[in-house]
Order: sequence, then C-alpha cells, then structure tokens
Amino acid sequence: MKLRFLLRDIVHSRSQALVFVLCVALSLVCIVAINSFRRDVQTAIVGDARALHGGDVIVRSSYPFSAGLEQALTELLARPGVTGARSWEMFSVVRRADEQGSLLAGIKVVEPAYPLYGRIDLASGKGLAEVLRPGRVVVAPAVLDRLGLAIGDQLLVGHGRLVIADLITAESLRSVDFFNFGPRVLVAAADLATIRLVEQGSRVRYRAMLRLDDGKQIAATVAALEARAVADQELVATYATAGSRVKRLFDNLFFFLSLVAVFTMLLAGIGMQSSLAALLRGKERSIATLRAIGADSRFLLRHYLLLVLLLSSLGAVLGIAGGMALERLFVDLFGQFLPDNLVLGTSLTDIIEGLAVGLAVVAFFTLLPLAAIREVKPKAVFSGSTENRPRRRETWVLLACGTFLLGGLVVRQLADLQVGLSLMAGILGLIAVISLLVGGLLAALRRLRHLPLPLRQAVRSLLRPGNASRSIVATLAAAFSVLLAIYLLQANLRAGYIDSYPPDAPNLFTLDIQKDQRQDFHLLLGEEVPLYPVIRARLTAINGNKIDRRAERKGRGDSLTREFSLSYPAGGEEDEELIAGRSLFPAEPGGRVPVSVLDNVAKMGDMRLGDVLEFNIQGVPLVAEVSSIRTRTRSMLFPFFYFLFPEEHLAAAPQTFFAALRVPAEEVSALENRIVSRFPNISTIDVGRSAAELAAVVDRLALIVTFFASFAILAGGLILVSSILATRLERIREVVHYKILGADSRFVVRVFFLENLLLGLFSGICALLVGQFAAFALCTYLFEVVYQPAWAATIGLVVLMVLAVVALGLAGSVAIIRRRPARYLRELP
Amino acid sequence: MPILQAEQVSKEYQLDGRTISVLRTIDLDVARGEFVVIAGSSGSGKTTLLSILSGLDRPSSGRVRLVDEDITDLSEDQLAPLRNRLTGFVFQGFHLIPSLNALENVMFPAELNRDPLAREKAVELLDRVGLAQRQASFPEQLSGGEQQRVAICRALINDPAIIFADEPTGNLDSENSRLIIELLLDLQRDRQLTLLMATHSHSLSRRADRIVRIADGMIVGEERQAP
Ligand SMILES: Nc1ncnc2c1ncn2[C@@H]1O[C@H](COP(=O)(O)OP(=O)(O)OP(=O)(O)O)[C@@H](O)[C@H]1O
Ligand SMILES: [Mg+2]
Repeated sequence: MKLRFLLRDIVHSRSQALVFVLCVALSLVCIVAINSFRRDVQTAIVGDARALHGGDVIVRSSYPFSAGLEQALTELLARPGVTGARSWEMFSVVRRADEQGSLLAGIKVVEPAYPLYGRIDLASGKGLAEVLRPGRVVVAPAVLDRLGLAIGDQLLVGHGRLVIADLITAESLRSVDFFNFGPRVLVAAADLATIRLVEQGSRVRYRAMLRLDDGKQIAATVAALEARAVADQELVATYATAGSRVKRLFDNLFFFLSLVAVFTMLLAGIGMQSSLAALLRGKERSIATLRAIGADSRFLLRHYLLLVLLLSSLGAVLGIAGGMALERLFVDLFGQFLPDNLVLGTSLTDIIEGLAVGLAVVAFFTLLPLAAIREVKPKAVFSGSTENRPRRRETWVLLACGTFLLGGLVVRQLADLQVGLSLMAGILGLIAVISLLVGGLLAALRRLRHLPLPLRQAVRSLLRPGNASRSIVATLAAAFSVLLAIYLLQANLRAGYIDSYPPDAPNLFTLDIQKDQRQDFHLLLGEEVPLYPVIRARLTAINGNKIDRRAERKGRGDSLTREFSLSYPAGGEEDEELIAGRSLFPAEPGGRVPVSVLDNVAKMGDMRLGDVLEFNIQGVPLVAEVSSIRTRTRSMLFPFFYFLFPEEHLAAAPQTFFAALRVPAEEVSALENRIVSRFPNISTIDVGRSAAELAAVVDRLALIVTFFASFAILAGGLILVSSILATRLERIREVVHYKILGADSRFVVRVFFLENLLLGLFSGICALLVGQFAAFALCTYLFEVVYQPAWAATIGLVVLMVLAVVALGLAGSVAIIRRRPARYLRELP
Repeated sequence: MPILQAEQVSKEYQLDGRTISVLRTIDLDVARGEFVVIAGSSGSGKTTLLSILSGLDRPSSGRVRLVDEDITDLSEDQLAPLRNRLTGFVFQGFHLIPSLNALENVMFPAELNRDPLAREKAVELLDRVGLAQRQASFPEQLSGGEQQRVAICRALINDPAIIFADEPTGNLDSENSRLIIELLLDLQRDRQLTLLMATHSHSLSRRADRIVRIADGMIVGEERQAP
C-alpha cells in the first residue's frame, strides 16, 4: 500500500523525478570517473616507479659527477648485490650521412647494463645489450620516418658515424614525450668519445642508476651518496622520491579536473534541490490534504525521505555506471599523455567512495526542501499557497552543518585544505556577489514606470513575492560565469603562448655555442648576431635565508630551486624596461656585485632593491645585491634572462653562448644542417615546429578541460529545466488568466519571452562581469599573459546563453498557450 | 435575435478507452439582457457547459453562436478579442493575477485593449463596489469577498455584453454571498447586461429570469420566472 502510494507519487511527477535522478547521476559521474582514473594513473606511475626511473637509487646532475661522488659510486659498485648503469642524455641534431636531412633527437648514451629496471622493446625482439654494440644505435621509428632512412643505414650523431641497428617499439624509461622535442636515439657508452658531444659543451644530463638486491640498503646508500655529492647540484633520490614530469603533469591535471568535478557536483546539487522543491511544490496540496486528514509530519517526512532515497539510489547507480563507462573514454581523450602501462579498472573503493560522496551531496541538497514539508499547514488546502514562509532557526543549523559537510568533501576531493577552503569561500563569495548584483538589477527594474504592458507584466512576474527568480539567476549566472571564465582562460592561454607568434620573433634557437666557436659561427651565418652568454647557476639564498628546496618544489608553478641562466648584457635587451632602480647597475654603494633581476622572478622570491642574493655557479659562490628590476615589453619568444650581471663579474665563469635567429621558414632546416654539421655540439631548436607541437598539447589539454566543463553545462541545463518545472503551475495560471481576459497568444508569448529574456540577460550580465573578472585575474596574476577580453566571443557566448534560457523557457509554455484554457482551469487551485 | 445560441452541443471525454458523455445535445438560447441560472447537482455538467458557451472550451459536436458570430471553430487568437470586449468572467476561485494589485487587475483588460481611460474606469468601478481604499492591495492581502468584488470589476471594465459566472459565491460566507449577488444584479440592471450563472444556490436562482436545470449533461427542465 505504502509502496504503491510512493510509486504513484513518482509517476505523477515523473518529469521532476527524472530531472532529480539525472542531477544525482551527473553529480557522481565526474567524481567517480576522475577518482577512479586518478587511482589507475597513480598506480601506473608509482607502481612502476622503478621502471620509470630505472633504478632503486638515482643520482642526477647537470654537470660531470664530482670526484667525491665518482669515488662513492665506485666504492658502492664494488660491493656485492649492487649493480649500476650510467646514462648521458642530451638533445642534439642527428643527420643523414649524405647531409640531406637532419632532426633534433633526444640522445641517450647508455652503459651495457642499462636498463636495470623496466624494459626497452626492440622491433627485432632481441635484447638491448645484444644489439647496442659500439658503432651502432637504436632509434625510435620517427627517426627513420623523418629522415627517410632504413635499418642498416648510417646516422651522423655529433662527430660520430653510427649504424642504425634496430627500432625501439616501447620504452618504459621515457620521461613522457610531453613536448616531442626529439625522438629517441640510444647510443652505446663506448661511443661517448666518438660522438664527442659531452666534451663539446652540449647540455648533458648525467645520471647514475643503482640496483640494490637488498631493498633495506636503499636509505643507507642514499645517505652515503648524499654525503659525497655536491649540494644542490648532484641530486640523489630513490625511485619513490624522485619526482617525475609525468607525475607532476597528472597531479596538476587531476587537481584541475577535480575542481571542475566539484563544481559540476555543486551545480548538480542545486539542480537536485530545485527539482525536488518543484516535485514537492506540486504535492503541496496533497500534503496539506494528508495533514488535514490526520497524517503527522513524521509520516510525511518518512514518505518523502523514502521517495528521495529511492530516486537518489537510482541516480547513484546510474552515476556510478556512467562514471565507469566514462573512464573508458579517457584513454582516447588523454591520448599521448598516458603512461604505457596504464590498466583501467574500477575498484570497489571507487564505488563505495562514489556512493558516500553521492549520499553526502544528496543529503545536503535535499535537506531544505524536505524540511519544508513540515511547514506545509493543513490550511494550504484552502489557500493553496505556502510561499514566503519564514525560515526557522533549525533551518539555518541544517544549512550550516551541510556547508561544513560539503566543505569537508571538497577539501578531501582536492586533497588540499587551503585550496579547498578557498574554493568554498570563492563559491560562497560568487553567490553573494551575484545575489547582490541581481538584487540591484531587480531593484532598478522596480523603479521603472510607464513600460509597455507586456514588459510591465514580465517585470511584475519577476518581482512577484515568492518568485524564485533571484535564486534561478544566481545559479544560472554562477554556472555561466565559470563556463565563460574557462573559455576565456583557454582562449587567452592559446593566444598568449601560441597564436601570438610575432612575425619578427626568432624562429631558430642555437644553444651551447662555445666561446672559441663564436668567430666561426658568425662566419658561417654570414652576419653578426647578438650572442647571449649563458652561465648556469643556482640561487641558494635570499638575504641570508636558504631557499627551502622541499617547500619550493611542492609549488605548482615555476620554482626558485631550478637552475637559472645568468648572463651579462650582450646587446639586444632593448625590449626591456626598468621598473625599479636608476640604471641597470648603478654605482655599487655596498661594494657588492650588482645584479638586475626580471620582475617575474623578483615576484617569485619577493625580491626588492638592495636584497642580497647568493648564487652557486657550478660550485663557486657569488654574492650579489639587487640593483634594478626589469620588466619585459615583448613576447617571451625573444631571449631574456632573469639575472643580469656586469660582464666583468662573470667573464671567468664557464659559459656558453646562445643565439636567437630569424630565418625564412623554408631555410630553417638547411641552416640547421649547416650549423650542426659544422658544430655538432651546437643544438638548434626549430621554434616554429616546437610551437606547433606545443599548440597540439594545449589543444589536447583544452579538449580535456572542455570535455569536463561540458558536464557543468549539462548541470546548468538541468537547473534551468528544473526551475521551469518548478514554475509550471504559475505559468499555467498566468496563461489562463491572460487568456480569459482576452489576451491573444502574441501577447502571452511576448510576456514570457520578455520574462525569460530578462532572466537570461540578468544571468548573462552577471556571468559576463564575474567571468571576465575571474579570467582577467587568473591570466594576469597566475599565468602572466597579457589579458585580452575577447569581447566579441564573450558577447556571442552570452547571447547563446540568453537564447538557451529563452528557448527553454518558451518551450515549456507553448503547449499551454495553444490549448483552450478550460482544461487548465480545473488544475488551478 | 438571441445573444447566445447553443445548438446540439455535446461534450465527451475519453478516459481509459471509455467515452464519457458529459454534455448531451444541449440546445439553449439566451436573450440580450437576460439573467439565466444554470442549476444542477454537482457533476451534472454546469461548469463544462459554461466553458463551452463562453469559448473557453470546444464542444465535441454542435455549434455555439455568440453575438451573431459562430465561435465553435475559432482559433484561440480569433477568440481573444471577443473575450476581451464581449465577455466577462467571474469564477468561484476569483482568479486574480497575483502579481498585480487590485487597481491593476481591474485595469488589465482595458489596457490590453489600449483604452486610454483604463485607469479612470477602474477607479470608478472599484469605488462603485466599495473598494476605493484598497486599490493598491494585492490579491493575497484581500479577503475572499473583496477579491470577488475586484474580479467583478475586472469583468465589467470593457463593458461586455455578457457575463459568465461559475458559482461566484461558492467560496464565500452567506453575508459576503449576499453582497456579491446584490452587486451583480444591480450592475446587470444598470448596464443591461446578460448574465449567465451556474449555481447551486436557491436564493440566487430565485432572482433569475430563467432557470435551466441540467442533470447528467442534459437539460431536464426550464422555468421562467416573473421579474
Ligand atoms: N477532463 C475530464 N475528463 C473526464 N471527465 C471530466 C473531465 N472534466 C470534467 N469531467 C467530468 O464531467 C462531469 C461534469 O463536470 P463539471 O465540472 O461540469 O460539473 P459541475 O456541474 O460543474 O459540478 P460542480 O457543481 O461540482 O462544480 C463530471 O462528472 C466530471 O467528472
Ligand atoms: Mg462546476
């Protein structure tokens, strides 16, 4: 009997029930999919960390290992149970033997024991050690494709002439080809001297990997190595602590996707609340009647609680199933970013976690409508309306508890207390700002007199006491503004980093030019170009405070701990302006070495004029005082240096030179060929092609973000639909009233059109203001790209939003308008 | 020439595959200025008949003529000006527009009609029904009797030829009912209105020129009463 009553109730309000179920499902889909995917990716990355890093203990440096470290390594390798392998990684241009083609490649010179962990699969199926003999290389298929070579052909690598012996089909130790700067070329360690890339000053990453048969020795080994390593230059890590680019990339990506998922969840929650409110509103009279015939509020509460539980279970099942299905799509969506060894799967934990999250969200967003049942007085049987009831104190308590619960959930999902709290505060702030804006707009409308009749009616309906226009506008505007902000951010990042490639910007970078090669380099080019000195160094302290490596590395952006390139003026810095200090290097009052810093690095380290910076230039300390701060006026594509010194203080430091050339596009590869065959140690980077590759990466990221943002759009749509359902009775009443008084359909349509237009415009205007502001702030302060408001596109989007609101609003009313009013008269209380 | 004419009007509903006849071949003429009461027990079809005669509903078969015009097949938009100028409605449930105050409710049909005198006429009508002080009140701030008086003013503002009233006193106590009835009858006499009213009320029926009794969707008797 009870169940039948329940089912009857659901069938009677099936549209509202459907929207509610969809909202519950939607709130879970993203969270479940992302959490489950995150777990899989982490398992793939961390679970296989040994394979990814190639050893139990890894030592890395940008310089040849120091004598102390070399000795420590030798001692360690002499012990039983310890095996080791070295590698030297560098980018260099490889060429066809006939000099008819060249290609920037990621060259990795490896010792025979390599790889200690993980695997390298070759096309022939043989083992790497067997194939990679002196005089031979194995290469990624792209090398053959792009150079038009085949196995057995010769390849020029540096000064060496090597034979291509095999193809690499899979490599577990690849540091993810995020930017495909160069396909892999593996060279045997015996050929290190033949290719002569290391001695010639190429930028080399030195690496030693150790395999310990006794896992308990790891900590002791690390300690032993660290004791001998040059601090800040030779980094010792275990497979578990070594950060990887992939992991960082995914940490950032998942963090962002979690943000979107949480936002979608909140929007869907609002949808739940309004569809449930709509459902209950339709039941108000039957609730009142039940009360009048003696049902107590416990009975009613139980009844509707059961109803909500039934519907949300259905939604949760749909949502979890949808999330699992969605995860399969991610493989295509994320494409080349994914680690090779990824195994997709949904664990019970994911499902339980999804259910718990779902329940919490449902509980929070259904509390208020359910609590409102108790407010329905039997009197509503007669008057029909219970709007505008005052809120009880316990309502606020409920609300506060719910907010707390939700806050905890958000913090947990984002795994970051500060960001989670800021997000919650941001959303509350957003709602507050939008409510204020809407309140202001409505108040302004109220003032207007002498409007044409349809417009006046539309305004009156919006201002009607108890009308939900304010909350509808607030939720729509919140959804819209976030969507708009995402769009603007994406457009600006694209424009800032990719599309705005200035026509006069250099398109070919040449690095690692040696001091004694400068003359010949200019001869080869046939012209004098500025050669920027590059001195590699680390910043160790600011005003005596050591830079906290661990804290710094946790940050999401650029870090002060990375290696910087110091330089001295070489001409060509005319695109920079001083923003602090009288000149680049004013007279040195304290007698300290002056240094001019760029504004972004100054901001990163909160550096001011007169601050004392300590550098470590490959083991040699240098103390300097900030003498000026510069800012850039041109695109990042022009060369720039964070730290500039007077030449005399760096003249003795080990240095290479760097040139940024502007070459007609069709001559780039010919010039690359000439440079590299003459100076094999010089690396060239075809920026045009790199920009194209970067564009592909950004597009892919944008696709991922848009994909997830579309769920937020869906949630917004559901909110709109549920708000239309919620006001169905009111709209029927309006249509019927207008009609019996002799209004034709044009009039009725006009009133509805205007009412929805106003709703849409209000939401649109609020979204425009908030979205533009948010995107501006993010671009300016976080990403530091010049902000372009993209007004045409913004207004286009806002118009689209408004049209969607109007279309949905009208669609809900057309059927009522075309029928004779008598049948609806009976429905009205 | 009658102002309202129904010929062989029937109304059927389909319910779970069964056909329910609510009205069966009703013939009815109403003369200009006449006060006709439609009486009958609950469920006999009074409201349905009134809806069809006024054009708020469409008959399943038969024809309805209102002031020389056959309205049976008119579209909603063709009916709109007729509803606006020729007819007025008074319902048991008042049906005032909740977002408008009393004065604006009364003015509304005249404004639809672009009547420049809408405000003056509305003020005058509200004054006539004793609500001059309540012009700015919204429906929810008015009692049932007051709401019904506003509804009557609204029905009258465009000087209609005929008023349809469906149990106008159904929601009111006897004192208010009496007031409303007196008001309607006064107005009918003053303005030469035709008044077609569905009601259970005997006291109301007694004042009518003619009582049409229906039962089970059929006219089962007519009584003419001396004025
Ligand atoms: N949409 C509908 N579908 C099926 N039957 C309907 C429908 N609308 C009305 N009826 C039936 O038509 C009959 C007449 O209804 P109507 O409202 O005209 O009666 P009434 O005489 O006005 O009654 P009351 O005095 O109680 O207002 C009733 O039996 C009702 O059940
Ligand atoms: Mg009736």
